[in-house]
Amino acid sequence: MIGYYHSKETFGTVDGEGIRYVLFLAGCGLGCAFCHNPDTWIKGERSITVEATLKDINQYRNFYDASGGGFTASGGEPLLQPNFVTDLFAACQKDGIHTTLDTAGFCKTEALLQVLPYTDHVLFSLKAIDHKLHRKLTLADSNEAIIRNLRYIAEHKPVTVRYVVIPQVTDDAESIKKLIELLHSIKNVQLKVDVLPYHFMGAYKWNELGMVYKLEGVPAATSTDVKRVSDMLLTANIPLQYPK
Amino acid sequence: MNVWDGFNKGKWQSEIDVRDFIQTNYLPYDGDGSFLTGPTDKTKKVWDTCTELLAAENKKGGVLDVDTALVSTVVSHKPGYINRENEVIFGLQTEAPLKRGLIVNGGLRMAEQACEEYGYKLDKEIENIYTNHVTTHNQAVFGLYTPEMRRARSLGLLTGLPDAYGRGRIIGDYRRVALYGVNYLIAQKQKDKDEVFVSPMLEETMRTRDEISQQIKALKDLIELGKSYGFDISLPAKNATEAVQWIYFGYLAAIKEQNGAAMSIGRTSTFLDIYITRDLAAGILTEAGAQEIIDQFVIKLRLARMLRTPEYNELFAGDPLWVTESIGGIGQDGRSLVTKNSYRMLHTLYNLGPAPEPNLTVLWSDRLPENFKKFAAKVSVKTSAIQYENDEVMRDVYGDDYGITCCVSAMKLGKMMQFFGARANLAKSLLLSINGGKDEKTDKQLAPVMPIPEGEYLDYEVVRKNYSEVLAWLAGLYVNTMNVIHYSHDRHAYEAGQMALHDSKIERLMAFGVAGLSVAIDSLSAIRYAKVKPIRNEAGVAVDFVVAGDFPKYGNNDERVDSLATEITHEFITELRKHPAYRQAKHTLSVLTITSNVMYGKKTGSTPDGRKAGEPLAPGANPMHGRDTNGALAAMRSVANISYDDCRDGISYTFSIVPGALGKTETARINNLSALLDGYSKYRAHHININVFDRELLVAAMKEPEKYPQLTIRVSGYAVHFVKLSQAHQLEVISRTFYEAV
Repeated sequence: MIGYYHSKETFGTVDGEGIRYVLFLAGCGLGCAFCHNPDTWIKGERSITVEATLKDINQYRNFYDASGGGFTASGGEPLLQPNFVTDLFAACQKDGIHTTLDTAGFCKTEALLQVLPYTDHVLFSLKAIDHKLHRKLTLADSNEAIIRNLRYIAEHKPVTVRYVVIPQVTDDAESIKKLIELLHSIKNVQLKVDVLPYHFMGAYKWNELGMVYKLEGVPAATSTDVKRVSDMLLTANIPLQYPK
Repeated sequence: MNVWDGFNKGKWQSEIDVRDFIQTNYLPYDGDGSFLTGPTDKTKKVWDTCTELLAAENKKGGVLDVDTALVSTVVSHKPGYINRENEVIFGLQTEAPLKRGLIVNGGLRMAEQACEEYGYKLDKEIENIYTNHVTTHNQAVFGLYTPEMRRARSLGLLTGLPDAYGRGRIIGDYRRVALYGVNYLIAQKQKDKDEVFVSPMLEETMRTRDEISQQIKALKDLIELGKSYGFDISLPAKNATEAVQWIYFGYLAAIKEQNGAAMSIGRTSTFLDIYITRDLAAGILTEAGAQEIIDQFVIKLRLARMLRTPEYNELFAGDPLWVTESIGGIGQDGRSLVTKNSYRMLHTLYNLGPAPEPNLTVLWSDRLPENFKKFAAKVSVKTSAIQYENDEVMRDVYGDDYGITCCVSAMKLGKMMQFFGARANLAKSLLLSINGGKDEKTDKQLAPVMPIPEGEYLDYEVVRKNYSEVLAWLAGLYVNTMNVIHYSHDRHAYEAGQMALHDSKIERLMAFGVAGLSVAIDSLSAIRYAKVKPIRNEAGVAVDFVVAGDFPKYGNNDERVDSLATEITHEFITELRKHPAYRQAKHTLSVLTITSNVMYGKKTGSTPDGRKAGEPLAPGANPMHGRDTNGALAAMRSVANISYDDCRDGISYTFSIVPGALGKTETARINNLSALLDGYSKYRAHHININVFDRELLVAAMKEPEKYPQLTIRVSGYAVHFVKLSQAHQLEVISRTFYEAV
């Protein structure tokens, strides 16, 4: 079984708990306007087998074990390669390696059903709740399936919802209210939120790829922006992944 | 009261055995740092005075004052004070803080040039004495050098050799002064002379006897040094304050006598904890008082200065003295050697702010108490002032009472000394094997003549075979050069004061080194896996290379190229061992550049890995900047693949990371750093410098240096005040890989 990937990071510290081996799988159809890695959208030709990946992860086991870390499948969208991720996660778990799935949930439900049993923790990147806003920020016609997938995941696994604060775009009171309503409607005591500040450090990649960066001129989120959103969530009794 | 009352009895009482004293008396501590206290008013006042003096020193271009008229010896200068009524630990190198003394034994030129460079003139009489009546180490070496040695030196194949300055890297076991008092040490030396070194009366015995005589004289001077400040150190220390003071006098005598490159302090924290614990129990010391004596000890160590030339600074930038203090580690019985005083020593970085000296070195093991690991990791995240060395690989070789000298060199305290040997340039050596033994910068024949590899592209087998020939030749030349240097240093600049604090029967190490390892092996990899076309001049010397295709690069945990690092270091130490070293010294090898990677780079032409002529080499065992593309752990595994058995003098790796890439929260950063060190240790890597800051901070500090006087960064094996580096060094540091979050 082979997977197509963009790159790997042996010392991942921001995509899940502890120190992690992060494999950035190639291919994503969501086309988010604020994506900082648009170079991962295309599937490309770089591939690796499950065995080779596992062997590589095990080269660094002492670090991952000492930190309570493990392996993260990120992307791109890992759920576009469900067979590979399933086999890899299963192999990891068999070897005692903690597995984290970093997904945006834009995939067939079958793919999710296939991978989830071998997943210890899910990072779920939620772009927008409002349909119109979601359509504006992504290439998806609707976010209905995405939210359905989130609900399903939350019923079965610990999940961290990642929400990017884009000033004036995703952080207005109405957007956050909708986010809170959605999260309140999900009954999972292991659901936490990671509020991420928007930055445009990936904008140059859009230009390199000959694409127009649609959020040109939108400022990066400040720590004040992040705090404001975080405080609103906390007031609504929604736990944060990284409480101050 | 007997000075040893309250200590557990042991063999240490009947012979000099500091390790036994520690093992029978110390109290391991596995709690956290909540007991620590801030600086006392006295400490604050002393440090305030120092801060002003240090600013004035910076403003004056790095040297505040020089005593040009009096050669520094143990007893040369009147007592000096910083802020007398608030000092609790006393003693300066000259009669005023930061006033540099002249030490000329190493070489007159160094002293002369240093004076001139900073606007002083060396006293005529001193010049006369050291020109006409005294042979300096430097004079003697140059009288002994062969033409080949001079050539290798001037063309930059062997560089940084201690032939014009003190060799340093010797650690006196200063703890002996505190535990036994100087009279006892003199008596033991006299006994060695009278009973041990008596026959056969041939050169080695006579020389040892002569050296012991010099040691005894130095110990007598040491007593005088103590007296000048009103202390009687002929007897053992009675309490913790005295123990620190006695140790410091031992060290002060050393730095008054020797302008050694690295003048390390040893492993004093846990030793001192025994005295502090006894005083605390007796109610004669408070925790604030304990921290005060450690803070003030550290203040003294931060003020230690040597007079050196700009040329020297080009090699070893930032005015370092490598006052290395080794902290922690695990004992042979499995108990952690971390004590409360290990914490107090690291805590000085908060109480006094970050600083490069003393060069605080944590001897890491995954078996250290978790609390201490987290504490040290936090200090690193906040100050970037600590380095870590793997106790798990060193203990097997050096026991559990070793100290680190300079950056990464371990030795058994009081039982081993080393002959420091700077380093050979492996990148340049490779060019010699491509150029028929000719120097690529001057076309001069440097190595023995050998055939220039034929064909449009370099053939790996041919180059590799030539490289072995060059390394074999270089090893012989290098050992002989070192023998010359250390024979001369022993004769003309002997470290009597430091050697008096060693056993008379001493194990000697000869510490060779390599620079440019990653460039050399990446170049070999390029030749092997890509196509490398040399562009040759009319002399047949390759002045540049055209590389077609990709090749595995060191720093990615790729066996194909990492194996070359193992292979070359093994081959080189094996070749070195074939040549006998002076005084039966054992050959060791380091992969360490200090900051000389910049200067070595200047002296090295373009290399087959794509590096252009004059560009810096990577520091120590680091991969070349930007070539490690699989994340930090892959680079660390590559470094760990180099065998400590082949490189017993240390393998240096410098790791720089932006805070955000170490973890999302402070807790995560501390936990991840601690885990990182655990993993690194388990893979049996040796040394790591940890820097945690944003590159932007360094850029800002370059623009407005006066705003960042205490900004401390780790470079290869030591730390510096960033603003004290030359622009070339600053740019090199900024251009290095800073791991960022992806």
